[in-house]
Amino acid sequence: MQYAKKLLDEVGIDSRRLEMFNMGASDAQKFTGAADEMTERARELGPNPIKAKNRES
Amino acid sequence: MIVADRKPLEQISSMIEGNNKILIVGCGECVSVCMVGGEKEVEILASQLRMAAGKEGKKIEIGEATLERQCDKEYLELLKDRIENYDVVVSMACGAGVQFLAEMYDHKIVLPATNTRFIGVTEGEGVWAERCRACSDCVLAETGGICPVTICAKGLLNGPCGGTNDGKCEVSKEKDCAWTLIYNRLNKLGRLDSIREIFPAKKYNVQTRPGRRIHEAFKEKE
Repeated sequence: MQYAKKLLDEVGIDSRRLEMFNMGASDAQKFTGAADEMTERARELGPNPIKAKNRES
Repeated sequence: MIVADRKPLEQISSMIEGNNKILIVGCGECVSVCMVGGEKEVEILASQLRMAAGKEGKKIEIGEATLERQCDKEYLELLKDRIENYDVVVSMACGAGVQFLAEMYDHKIVLPATNTRFIGVTEGEGVWAERCRACSDCVLAETGGICPVTICAKGLLNGPCGGTNDGKCEVSKEKDCAWTLIYNRLNKLGRLDSIREIFPAKKYNVQTRPGRRIHEAFKEKE
C-alpha cells in the first residue's frame, strides 16, 4: 500500500486518493464511514487531474 | 544475480521527452527477481508514464514486452517486428541487457530505466546484498567462503585493518568487518592457519575490461 502510494506521488497524483480499509463483511458502519471519508477526501482534492486535463482537450 | 535499482520516474520521463511511441522492455531474469525490471515492473512503469502524460494532457502510446532474458540474442530477436512501431525503447534490464538490446537494434534509441548496482544475493524479503565484484581471481578458498574484496570496505586481502571495532567496520557501524567474519568462519572450520597466509598484491592484470570468455568447445570456431 505504501509502495502504491509512493508510485502515485511520483507521478504527481496525490496519494491521499488511495487508501486501504480493513473490515469484515458485516461491518456496515465501518464501510459507510470509509466511504464517507473517501468522498470527503475526493471533494477536498478536486477532480482527478488526468481526467480533468483530458476533458479540456 | 545482478541487482539493480529503478531510475526515478522524473529521470525516465525526461529521457523519453518528445517521443510519442515508447516500448518498455522488461527482463525475466535477475532484475525480475530483485523486483526492478520484470513483467510487473514493466506494467507499473507503463502505468506511471501513461498517468504522467495524461496529467500533462499529452497523448503517448506505450507498448509493453518482457523477454525471458535480454542478454541473449535469441530472446532479443523476438522484438524484431514489434520494435519498428516505436520511436524509443526503454529497457528495464541490467546494463548488459540494455547494451545488448541497443547493439542488436542499433537504429533505435535504447534508454535505460535502471541503475545496475552489483552481483549479490537475496538476504531476505526485498533485501539484496553484494557478494562478488567479479575480480577474475577468486580467493574464497583461503577466506572461508567470505570475499574480502567485496565485503571489506577497503577490499583488503590481508586484514583486518586498524579500523575494525567489535566486528564492525570503521566506515559504518552497520557494516560487518569482513576480516572478523573471515576469522570467525575459519575458526569454525578449524582452518585458522589460513589467516596466517599473506596474500601477494592483487592481480589486477586478469581484470581485463571488457571481460570476455570463450568456452573451450567453441574456441576453434572463433
